[in-house]
Amino acid sequence: MEGPVSVARSLGGRAHHNEKPPGVPVFELDDLSVEYGSFRAVDGIDLSIAANEITAFIGPSGCGKTTVLRCLNRMNDLIPSARVLGAVRYHGVDLYGPRIDPVEVRRRMGMVFQKPNPFPKSIYENVAFGPRVTGHQGDLDDLVEHSLRRAALWDEVKDKLRDSAYALSGGQQQRLCIARAIATNPDVVLMDEPCSALDPIATLRIEELMIDLKKEYTIIIVTHNMQQAARVSDRTAFFTVDVKETGDRTGRLVEFDDTGVIFTKPSQKATEDYITGRFG
Amino acid sequence: MTTDHHDSRHRFEESLEEVRTGILELGGLVLENVRRMGEALLENRLDLARIVVGADEEIDARYARLEFRVFEIMARQQPVAGDLRFLVASTRILYEIERSGDLAVNGAKGLIRREGYTMPPTIHSLVARLARGSTDLFAQGLEALRGLDPTAAAKIDHADDAVDSVVGELYQMIARNSENMGFDLAIELSRIGRYLERIGDHAVNIAEHVTFVVTGSFPGDGDAATRDE
Repeated sequence: MEGPVSVARSLGGRAHHNEKPPGVPVFELDDLSVEYGSFRAVDGIDLSIAANEITAFIGPSGCGKTTVLRCLNRMNDLIPSARVLGAVRYHGVDLYGPRIDPVEVRRRMGMVFQKPNPFPKSIYENVAFGPRVTGHQGDLDDLVEHSLRRAALWDEVKDKLRDSAYALSGGQQQRLCIARAIATNPDVVLMDEPCSALDPIATLRIEELMIDLKKEYTIIIVTHNMQQAARVSDRTAFFTVDVKETGDRTGRLVEFDDTGVIFTKPSQKATEDYITGRFG
Repeated sequence: MTTDHHDSRHRFEESLEEVRTGILELGGLVLENVRRMGEALLENRLDLARIVVGADEEIDARYARLEFRVFEIMARQQPVAGDLRFLVASTRILYEIERSGDLAVNGAKGLIRREGYTMPPTIHSLVARLARGSTDLFAQGLEALRGLDPTAAAKIDHADDAVDSVVGELYQMIARNSENMGFDLAIELSRIGRYLERIGDHAVNIAEHVTFVVTGSFPGDGDAATRDE
């Protein structure tokens, strides 16, 4: 009990998270590095992520942006050789502290992946699964409807909740995954390339949904799509990759600023080269 | 990074360079017309004034072509950062150049309409200083663009103050001599002063847009480009 309770105390619980004073960071990354065995994948990241904003991580392949994202909900714990150095503070609590329960951490952070990955179950069960596992006490039907409404999917599926999730289109499946991610009442939604498998119209719907959802959640998105980062995010972090003589590729943070600044007036030449397409 | 990517980025960079060269060429045509207009005024050269008017068609056509090209690049390449600043500034610089061309034509048309001016010597020498000053300013504005010199704006602004003070002197002298010259000519020469002064202002604006392209801010504006985010 100690871990979750200490996080919950520090946070004051999910119901109060909108009462936080503005500008209090949800995440503070302090000299964060990630190693896989002897190989350092990401080096010395300092970053502060604000509540109720969309923060975009951009950068070339191998720059560590997904690795950093996965540090935020301790997904890297699932890789045996991975080692996280430095600090990740979540509402001021050290996420890698000895008494923190990774499962509780992941409950507070919904995650959406590149390819829509609904369970091979009905639409209803996809959304109800998480709350059931975490022992949801209230009316499950209400929660499923609420989550599907928040994910802008309710009107399209309300008459076929018992149909297989696989019968939905790719864009609908991704919105179902978002509904599933928010059904457990998280504080943060992490998105790893959420639109890369979608057509432009489905992409637009997800982007509109993200902007709507940031009122309630803190959203962090990894994207290869520069225009998407420019369209939806409030702040943008640009990562790059240094290639060593040994061939090792280590990611680092180059620049982190308001998205408007990054796309009109980046301070680092490497950022400018990347976003204007002159990189490499 | 595929070869295709490099090819298309290479073409993109070429298209930016093509716009910059096109603007400098257009600027060169307008500069030549501004210089001709001054010479026509001072030497009552109606033939030169007609060349100024005739050359404007080519200037307008190039202006329209370049402006469309900038729109097309924006639509197809979705530029950001320095490229975006350059293209946005390009549309503004094109406007400054095209307006300067129109002012030269206005001056030339005035001269043609009156079949030459008879200016008192004091006024003639002030118009000569003004024409030289504005032509130099315009050339400096184009030079700032050619060299993408972010510091040019400050120097040009200083030179523009000198031109403005000559215009002030000219207005005073016209007021003092207006009865001798006749009011029609006094008004006509006031307009000429105004045209030349405005050409100088456009040159200052061009240099300021260059500062914006290079630094992301307008001179003296702190962080204007991103302040209202």
